[in-house]
Parts: sequence; structure tokens; C-alpha cells
Amino acid sequence: MEQFIYYLKVSLKSIKRAPLPYALTILILSVGLGVFFANATFYYRLNSDPLPDKSDKLFFPMTLITPYECNNCLPPRVLSYSNVQKLSNSGIPSAQAAMYSSAGYARLTLENLPTPVSLRVTQRDFFEMFEVPILHGTVWSDGSAENQVLVTKATALSLFGRTDVVGESILLDDITFSVIGVLNDWQMLPRLYDANGRNHLSEGADIYLPLETGYDLNYLSNTNSVSYDDTDYRQLATEGRAGALHQLQFWVQLDTPADQQRYQQFMLRLAEDEKSAGRHPAPINNQLVPITEIVDYFGDASGDIEAFALVTLLFLVVCLLNAIHLALNRYLSNQYEFSLRRALGASRSQLQLQMLADVLLMTIFSLAGALLIAYAGVVLMNALLPQNSLFSSWDIALIIALVMAALICSYIVTLYPSLRASFGSLNQQLKE
Amino acid sequence: MITLTNLSKIFRTELIETHALRNVNLQVNEGEFVALTGPSGSGKSTLLNILGTLEGFDEGDYLLDGKSVNGLPDSELSKLRNQKIGFIFQSFNLIKDFSIYDNIELPLRYRGLKAKERKDRIESALELVGLQARRNYLPSQLSGGQQQRVAIARAIAGQPRILLADEPTGNLDSLMARQVMELLEQINKQGCTILMVTHDPDQARRASRNIQIVDGQLHDSTLYEPLASQSA
Amino acid sequence: MSLSLLLKVILHRKIVTTLLLVQLAITLALLLNSILLANQTHQQLNQPTGLELENTLLVQLKPTTPQLRQHPALEDLMQRQIDALQNIPNVVAASYSNQALLTQGGSNGNLYDVEREDTSNIESVPIYTTSPEFFDVLNVEVLQGELPSYSDAPDENGHVGIVLTESLAKALFPEQTSFVGLQLNRGPVRAVVSDFYGQRKRSPGNETLNSIQVIPPESVDWGYTLILRTTQGQANSVREQLTGTLQQVEPNIEVYYIRTLAEQQRELYSNEYGLASLLAILTALMLLVTMISSYSSTHFHVLKRNQEIGVKRALGASKGLIFLELLSEGWICTLAGAILGVGCALILNQSLSQVISLPSLNWWLPLVTSAILLLSVTLATWYPAAIAIRVSPATATKAL
Ligand SMILES: Nc1ncnc2c1ncn2[C@@H]1O[C@H](COP(=O)(O)OP(=O)(O)O)[C@@H](O)[C@H]1O
Ligand SMILES: [Mg+2]
Repeated sequence: MEQFIYYLKVSLKSIKRAPLPYALTILILSVGLGVFFANATFYYRLNSDPLPDKSDKLFFPMTLITPYECNNCLPPRVLSYSNVQKLSNSGIPSAQAAMYSSAGYARLTLENLPTPVSLRVTQRDFFEMFEVPILHGTVWSDGSAENQVLVTKATALSLFGRTDVVGESILLDDITFSVIGVLNDWQMLPRLYDANGRNHLSEGADIYLPLETGYDLNYLSNTNSVSYDDTDYRQLATEGRAGALHQLQFWVQLDTPADQQRYQQFMLRLAEDEKSAGRHPAPINNQLVPITEIVDYFGDASGDIEAFALVTLLFLVVCLLNAIHLALNRYLSNQYEFSLRRALGASRSQLQLQMLADVLLMTIFSLAGALLIAYAGVVLMNALLPQNSLFSSWDIALIIALVMAALICSYIVTLYPSLRASFGSLNQQLKE
Repeated sequence: MITLTNLSKIFRTELIETHALRNVNLQVNEGEFVALTGPSGSGKSTLLNILGTLEGFDEGDYLLDGKSVNGLPDSELSKLRNQKIGFIFQSFNLIKDFSIYDNIELPLRYRGLKAKERKDRIESALELVGLQARRNYLPSQLSGGQQQRVAIARAIAGQPRILLADEPTGNLDSLMARQVMELLEQINKQGCTILMVTHDPDQARRASRNIQIVDGQLHDSTLYEPLASQSA
Repeated sequence: MSLSLLLKVILHRKIVTTLLLVQLAITLALLLNSILLANQTHQQLNQPTGLELENTLLVQLKPTTPQLRQHPALEDLMQRQIDALQNIPNVVAASYSNQALLTQGGSNGNLYDVEREDTSNIESVPIYTTSPEFFDVLNVEVLQGELPSYSDAPDENGHVGIVLTESLAKALFPEQTSFVGLQLNRGPVRAVVSDFYGQRKRSPGNETLNSIQVIPPESVDWGYTLILRTTQGQANSVREQLTGTLQQVEPNIEVYYIRTLAEQQRELYSNEYGLASLLAILTALMLLVTMISSYSSTHFHVLKRNQEIGVKRALGASKGLIFLELLSEGWICTLAGAILGVGCALILNQSLSQVISLPSLNWWLPLVTSAILLLSVTLATWYPAAIAIRVSPATATKAL
């Protein structure tokens, strides 16, 4: 150990002798690592699996049970109420929930000013399927069409000033609802169940209400609602339930590959039945998209971040090459010292230990620089691409990855030049 | 062809001033072989460098072929060096990334000679120093004597009128030193004026004229020829 | 000095040269593509919209109580709001619309010529339902027909007349030159107006396919837009009064945003803008890194080659020649790197265009970027090269 400290001191001394080349090496390495890491933060977060335990069991079924004819077209990305009902009858999934997002205004009494709230209109299984933590109360009963809501903790706090508000009532667009549950802090990132456009990048809803109630009260989807016949979307409760008004996302939980197989079969039979009943004019095209692939399926992947992943990787490579180049120059200027040490009888292992000390120092400096630049990079990216801002936080795994990256880069930067300087046949081989 | 009048050179560093040359008067005629001797630090190299226009001077004047070099711009001086002067250094000073051939070619390129002419001159220079077979070697692949011969070839390839040699045999053993000396004598016979710094009395004796420098001052052991009798 | 000798020297330093070349090539590839992207964004932001971007204001809002979102309170509310807006000094005209302009998505429907449903159907045409002042606010030119008003009576199918932009009319009825009175699935063509940018579309050129119907508002589900045109240069002074005026008319509203159309356009392309900015920053960093590397490599080089430079000076190379020699080493590497870089740029261009929309390379951009690269390298080499030629040849050639 003491020996190693001595090596560290030697490293520091040689840095002090020529501080500019060393500083430039560190600068370049830090910039490369920092820029790479800033983007990697978003890349890692955006591609992370929010439900690692069950993401392989959740699927979005889509069919072409629509009153239009087309060849080679994909089924609509949202389902009609009647299609969801038909799909819900399979009995195969262990959980299933249809849903859409909407918006409204909430207040406690008619005297208060209404505050805007985002709504998720969904079914009972939603909470279990996406592992939503419930702080107080419970979920509504199956198929409920009552004026019941679950609210997030933040909404409860902002409306009531406290969290345990089960049994209280609120006015949602001036209709009285009773609060039957309060969600604990919950942020599923990315919100894959809402993949459509770039919704999966945004925050979750404030208030959750039953699907039937949403339809009864004529809450329209504020994301995507398409009418394939002359259904009047203002008549959601009646025409909207029967007609080809598509606005629902639908998720099923299929626990085993066998279940998934059976569900595919079920969808196929359903489509065939519908076709023979004349309600499926287009060629059959069923899709059962796993939740992990849904963003790609809809073509909504964050291309900018992916583009940057490539670009920043290249940048890192360039910086690395550059740093090697700089370090090579630095080592070669110290070449005399190296040959002297070798002449004085330093063994290979001693020189290697010296190199290790160099690596360690470089790791520390470049890591510090990289963290600073990465932080600035994240701030900058949040400002320039604000839609990804929920995905900008660092966790332990990320930090460790950065440390590893800094270590590896420092090792590479140090290894080649010092090998050349310490083991090369000196003057002859060193053409520089 | 070389005339120095009252030439002085002072090196100034932050702390000290070194009078490397004081009031030097010198006249060298075409075809002379001048040996410069003197103790270490007496100003021999400085004198040679000034003659080669590698270094400026503080006082006096230096006429080369009757023209003062004082105040000439860098480009003129470079041209002058390139066309009239050849250098031979104690440490050879070959460019180590260049082959023998490329080393010799360098001054010819600076002069802007055509490829054919360059080739001819390099060939004859190589022949003179007897290293035709090694043309593609790198300097590091040659012995010291061979390297110095390459340096001589490089210096004379441009057919300079003056050859300045600073201890050309200082790094060589006696056999090799003799070869180099013979080469220089041969070059001198072809009409090239040579000024050579040496520590070896034998070598000095073989020169047509001996000049000793002590403490920056010249002591010409041959007769001092007055300016009036300068020959063209 | 000759090119062949320079090349020899450069090739001699294999590893260093390879490092430099790879780096220069990647830098050029990035530089090229980020200029490409910046250029595209610039063009998108400067494409003609047919709108008075600076003098038109959008207010996106929604009543917060259910009654206000329904007939008849809604119609009354909008009328009061428009009247109040029109009374603000410097407001030329104000109108409501079910949706804003220069947006991504909105309230759309398909349109077709009832006589040729199959061949003329156009999906996802923005359907603006507005008050009659809409056309005055946008300051569009009426090319055919007469602009509708609220008092127009619906036809026997309950349809009111539709106003089409010129490009939409031509797309729906390619054979016709006179469009007024032709029947569409949603009603007869009432008038044709000059093109304006409605919604951003996947296929460029479709942004100006817009249809407008003048209908009193029934209900709003996603909010609505108040649009007003101000006199030249007065948008900001008008904007300051908007919130107060609207609050005075009706406090139970939520104003999502107030923007000029110019801001709306920037918002629409903010992603491209952000991406282009980030790439530009990255490119600047990359150039910096390249400059550092050119600088330090020349600097180091010069230290190492003091003796060599001195010898060359002794052999008759002038300071200017040595300087040129040092710079040309950088130039040769840069040019070689640039040639490699164009190849890299093509590859990068292809891989990038799989994830973002990016135009393909053209012929002059490689030249421009190579010039930029050359300039940076020259700048970075200048100082160490200038130092190098100050080397005294006398000192440099001295025996050790
Ligand atoms: N570049 C220089 N700066 C300062 N002093 C110098 C420099 N070059 C030579 N000198 C001094 O000038 C004197 C003459 O040096 P030099 O001509 O090299 O001697 P010689 O070649 O006879 O051994 C010495 O005292 C030396 O220290
Ligand atoms: Mg000397």
C-alpha cells in the first residue's frame, strides 16, 4: 500500500512537470465521457423496463373489426368499446383492462375555482396489472359504473390538504364523485400502457375513474379518437358504445406462452366469426403486441435519443483516440524517465504498478470532469428536448456504469502509450 | 570571398552576457582550407554559425562575396545558405525519418531543382562518399562514419562554394576520422572553400591555413592578408 | 518541401496518423450531418405558411365548467370573448376556431368528391369550424366564391358550405378549374381561399390541405382557439392585455397558451430545433477536440523535431517554408481525413435517417465542411508552428 502511494506520488509529480498536456487529456476524456453519459442517461431510462417482473406477460391485442375495407393495413391503434367487449369474453387473460385518457376540472364545492385534472378512465384490473400502489382505500368493483374515483396522493393533497380522503366526495366537472382510494407515489416510466404519440414519456393521470362511468358521462379521449362510421362522438354513452368509435387502449395479461397461443387462436376465431357476420370487411390482421415492443410497434421511439446514442458513441471514440494520442505524446516526452527507470532496474511488475497508479489518477480526474459535463449536458438536453425531461435522473446503476466507463477509458488511454514508452525498443521504434 | 570586419557577438541571458566573439577580423579566400582550433567555449562554433548565417551578430560586418549579409531578410539568408553554404555537424544531424537518399535530396529540393538534376547530383554525391548501395537505408542503420559521410554528401550535393564543418570527426574513431578528412581534402581540391573546427593537431596541420580562437579572439597563425589584396 | 516527402513523413508515423485520420473522418461525418439537420430545420422554419406569423395571436383555452362548454352558454361566451378582443386597440380582427394553426394533429376528417368517392378520397383533412371572421383574421385571399356567414341555410342533407384552400380544391378535383358548388361528402364547396399552413403532416406539401366551415359552436370537448390579427408590430402589446380581458369576460376558463403564430411554428418544430442545436453543440465540441489534438500534436511534434527543423533551416529552408511545411502536414491529414469522412458521413447519414428525418447528402456540403475542418486545423496548428520556426538553427544543430 505504501508502495502504491509512492507510485501515486510519482504519477502526480510527472503530471506537475507537464500539466498542460495532462489537463488537455483529462479535458478531452471528460468531454467525451460526459457527453456520452448525458445521452446515455436518457437512452437507458427511456429503454428501461418499468415492470421487469411481468413485462413479458402484458399484451395489447388489436383487430381489424372495423367497418372499412382496406388491404395490407394494420388494425387501428385504438379499439372501439364493442371490440373491447368482444375481446374481453375470452376468459384467457388473468387480468385485462381497457382505458383511455381524458381531462376535466375538479373542485370540492361549487364555490371553489375548478382546477384542471388529467383523467385515466379505465377498468378495475388496471391497478393490479401495472402494480399501482394503493395508499388508502380500494379499487372499484368490476364493471362498476358508479361515480367513484381513485386519486393520486398529490391530487388528494392539493384538493384536501391530506392523503386519507377515502369516503370524501369531489366535484368532477360539477358532478359529485366519491373518493374510494388514494394512490401512493407511483411513477411508471416509461408509461408503456399509454404508448401513443409520445404519451408514454409524460406523467400519469391525477384521477382514475371507471370506464363505464367515463362513457356514461361522455368523457372523450383527449389522445386519439377516431370514428369509422357516422357515430356521433358526443353521444358516447349510447352510440359510442355500439358504433365504430375507436378510442380505447386494451391490455391483457397472459401468463404463459400457452395462454398467449390460446389468445391468438381466440382472436383469430373472433375475427373469422366477425368476418362471416360481415363486420370485418378487411383481410384479417390481428396483432398481439408485447408491452415491451409497443413503442416501436407504434413507431414512437425517441429517434432523437437513438440518433444521439450513435453520435455520442462516435464522439466518445474520437475523444478516446484523441486522449490516447495526447497521452502518447506525454509519455514519449517522459520517455527518458522511463528508460532511466528501466536502466535502474525497475521490473515489469513495478512499471505496471506505476501504470495502475496513473490509471487511477486519470480515472478520478476524468470521472469528476465527466460528471460535471454530464450534468450540464442533461440540463441542456432537458432545455432543448423537454419532452424527455422525466427521464433525466441518475441512479446507482448508471453512476456505477459511468465509473466503469471512466476506468476503462483511462485504462485504454494509459495502457498503450505506457506500454510503448516502457517496453518499446526505445529510440528506434519511437518515430514520434 | 568571406570578409569579417570588427565582428562581435554577445550572448545575453537574464543574468550574464557572454562575449563569444570580440572584434573579429577575418578574410578567407576562395579555395582555402581553414582549420579553426581553440579551447572549448572559445567561440569556434559561434563563428561558424555566423559564417553560415545561422546566427546573427551584434557589431561589425560580414561580407559574403562582397555583399553584406547584415539586414538580409530570412528568405534571402535561407537562399544564400541553400546555394552557397554546406554544413557538416559533429553530431551528423541527419533527419532520422528520411532515408539516406531523401536526406541528401532535401537541400536540392529547397533549391527547386528538377527531379532529373537532383538525381544526378545525389548519385554523384553518393558515389563520392561511397554509399551508393545504402541509399535506401535510414540513418540509424548506418555507422557513425557512414552517417557523417552521408552528411558530407548532403552538404556538397548542392555544390556549395563554402563548406562549414564543426568538429566533423569529433564523434568518430580515428580510422573513420581519417576517411572523413580525406573526403574533405578531396572536396577542397575541387575548389570548395572549407572552414573546419577541429581539436586534432594532425588534421589542423593538413589544412592550408590555421586559425586559433581564444576567448572570442582570433589568432591567425598564417600571415594576415590585408583587405586590399582580396581576390575575387 | 515536396508532397511525396511530406507523405513519407506522415506515413512513417503510422499509429498517430491513423488516430488522427479516424478522428478527422468522424468529425467530418458529424459536422456534415449536423449541418444537414440544421439546414433542414432552418428550411422548415422558413417555409412559406401563407400566414402573418408575427401579427397573428393564438389563444388556446377551455371553459372550466360544463355549462360553459355547451350550447347555448358556449356560443354566448365566445361571442362575448370575440367582442372583447375586437375592442382591444390594434386588434384588426378576431375569430374563434375549433383548433389552432401550425399544429401537430387536430380535428380531422376525410373529404371526397361524392361523384368519385374511391379516387378522390383524402384522409385526415383538418376541418376547421370557425366564426365568419376567421378569413379576415388569417388575411387569406378569396380566389373563388363567396365567404360563408352564420346565416347560411344548411342544404337538404343538413350540410353547410365548405371553404377549401386552393391546394385542397385542386387535390380533390384535379379535373376542374371552377370549384364553387361542387359536392363533397360534407357539403358543397362554397369558396376557395389561398393556401395556409394548418397541420404538420407526415408527407411534406400536405400542410396546406385545409377545409373550413362556418358553424356556430355546439360544444367544445378539447378546448378551442381564439385567433386575432393585430396591426403591424403590435402583437406584444395586444398579448399583454389578453389574459386580463378574457378573465374579465369570464373567469371560469383555463388558458393553455397564448402565442404568436411565429412562436407556434417554433413550437411545432421545437424537437427538430432542439436536435439541431444539440448536434451543433456536439459538433462544436468535436471541432474543439480536433483543434486540441492538432494543436498538441503539432506542439509535441515541434518539441521532438527541434533538431530536424534546425537542420532544415541550415540546409536552406526559410522560416516561411518550414511554417508551410508544418501546416501542410495538418492539411494533408485533414484532406485525407475529409475524404474518409465523406464515406463515414454517408454511413452516418443512412443510420441516422433510420431514426430521425434527415435529408441525404448533397455534393457541396462535403466541400464546405472540409473547408471548416481545414480552417480549424489551420488555426490550431498556427501557434505551435509559429513557435517552431523561432527555433534557432544554431542551437538546434548543436552537438549534445
Ligand atoms: N545560445 C547561446 N546562449 C548563450 N551563450 C552561448 C550560446 N551559444 C554559445 N554560448 C556561449 O558562447 C561561448 C562560445 O561558445 P561556442 O562557440 O559554442 O564555443 P566552442 O564551439 O568554441 O566550444 C561559450 O562561452 C558559450 O557558453
Ligand atoms: Mg563547439
